[in-house]
Amino acid sequence: MNRSNFWVRIMIVAIVVTFAAVLGQIQRWRTSLRPVIQETSQLDKKPRRPKRPRQESEPEVLVRFKPGMTVDEIRAIAARTNDRVEDEIESVEGLIAIDDLDNADPTAVSESYAAMSDYVVYAEPNFEIRLDPQPNEGFTKDLVYRERPIGAPNDPQFAEQWALNNLGQDGGKDRADIDALKAWLTTQGSQKVVVAVLDSGVDYTHKDLVSNIWLRPENLPQYTDDELGTFDDTRGFDADATIGDPMDDNGHGTHCAGVIGAEGDNNEGIAGINWKVQIMPLKFLGRGGFGSTKNAIEAINYTIDRKKKGVNVRIISASWGSTSRSKALEDAIRAAGDAGILFVAAAGNSSTDNDKRPHYPSNYNLPNVISVAALDRTDSLASFSNYGAKTVHIAAPGKDIISTWLNDDYRSASGTSMATPHVAGVAALMLSKSPNMSVEKLRERLLSSVDKIDTLNGRTVSAGRLNAAKALGK
Amino acid sequence: MGFTKDSAAAAAKRDLARRLNVEESEVDVSSTSDSDFPDMSLGAAEKGEMSGQMISSGWTINLKAGGKSYEYRASRDQLRAKDFQGKNYKIG
Repeated sequence: MNRSNFWVRIMIVAIVVTFAAVLGQIQRWRTSLRPVIQETSQLDKKPRRPKRPRQESEPEVLVRFKPGMTVDEIRAIAARTNDRVEDEIESVEGLIAIDDLDNADPTAVSESYAAMSDYVVYAEPNFEIRLDPQPNEGFTKDLVYRERPIGAPNDPQFAEQWALNNLGQDGGKDRADIDALKAWLTTQGSQKVVVAVLDSGVDYTHKDLVSNIWLRPENLPQYTDDELGTFDDTRGFDADATIGDPMDDNGHGTHCAGVIGAEGDNNEGIAGINWKVQIMPLKFLGRGGFGSTKNAIEAINYTIDRKKKGVNVRIISASWGSTSRSKALEDAIRAAGDAGILFVAAAGNSSTDNDKRPHYPSNYNLPNVISVAALDRTDSLASFSNYGAKTVHIAAPGKDIISTWLNDDYRSASGTSMATPHVAGVAALMLSKSPNMSVEKLRERLLSSVDKIDTLNGRTVSAGRLNAAKALGK
Repeated sequence: MGFTKDSAAAAAKRDLARRLNVEESEVDVSSTSDSDFPDMSLGAAEKGEMSGQMISSGWTINLKAGGKSYEYRASRDQLRAKDFQGKNYKIG
């Protein structure tokens, strides 16, 4: 044998051996697929629907095949039943997304694969996860991780309004709120109800308030006082007759107004307790946030006059006070009660017992006065809040309350100033549902419908937190 | 007014000197500290004055004159003498 003949023979042997190996492998494949082919013939019995174009199909089944199965083998399995391999999930050995081109029921398809127990570890339908359902059908993602519950308004900063819906955000206590969502299932307020905010005025041009600002009806003449003259009260009252414009130049009154009635579900800022209401600005506090007793009395006098002339102003929200007692102020508030007006007043922020150290006007023992203490987001009495087993009637959220501020702004603030409009706002909700409810009944219902809190025992009359839903009878 | 902490302290010195009828140099600023006050009168409402019940930030200014201590409270927009001879005063 010469050298060239040797190498030729070696090559022939190599080719023959290789060919034999390939043939053997093919045979093995055929052998392994035979039972699969027999099994998959069963799949022909699955309900068939018209074939969808390939690009429209979605992977309906996630199947994990046993180790050792190749993608080609799996594709062959899928092809036998008009399925296709959508994707191989590389991070999980054997996990395949399979697309059923016949649009069959995913559960049935997954069950058929699961039946191939020699080749399949498990099979399951590709469940739909809905992150953005239609409104009022579920949850909507809002901000970082909180989900917008059913019935919540679309105001972008609503998630920060723990007082209305406390999910425990920022260290708060779950459900330590006034149950606004449940209340709104009954009513979201009404523009037939007028709430007077007796304060530093209201920024009546604020984009989140402008739709809810009271305007003097055309058939109601301007307000006239025999001694002080005529006031242009188009949008409310300013006790400083020389200015005559209740525009807020401090921010405090605007903040309180927003709690009561920032327009709700307008895709803007926050939601007030009343999505719709009429806010009547009454300005007697100046730019610095303080004012005289006399001017407060003038503003209350104005409110009573408007009420008697047909304006449905039923509530005065009074987030102010001092330790000075005024018989004249007490008489003016009593007259407001006689005219059917509820007077909601801040209890004060000196951490003192109002039973021992009175704070006014909240301490006036009148049938139309409600005195309000402040809670924080953990359902505790705020550290600054006054209290009083006999003289402070109810507690409401008053710490870190976000609301409207001057110039289309929003701000967080704390105080019994912030707690007070929560009570006034719920009273307005009640009147939107029951317009003829008397002042006495309003007050009684507000105090009797609280959520009892142990730590408020002996610190407030009602020993509880304002609950809007219960106040509405939910 | 537009007070800063320092200008409020200076104004407090001037006011106390006037009230005590002494030279400003006889009034010392003991301390000036950031404070939160219980209301918009900085917890120093004058008699008959009503104020918004919102926690308000400002400064507590402690002064000394003639061996006695006096307290003033200030914010950007106001200056008040607290409990001066039993009464609160709004300055300016």
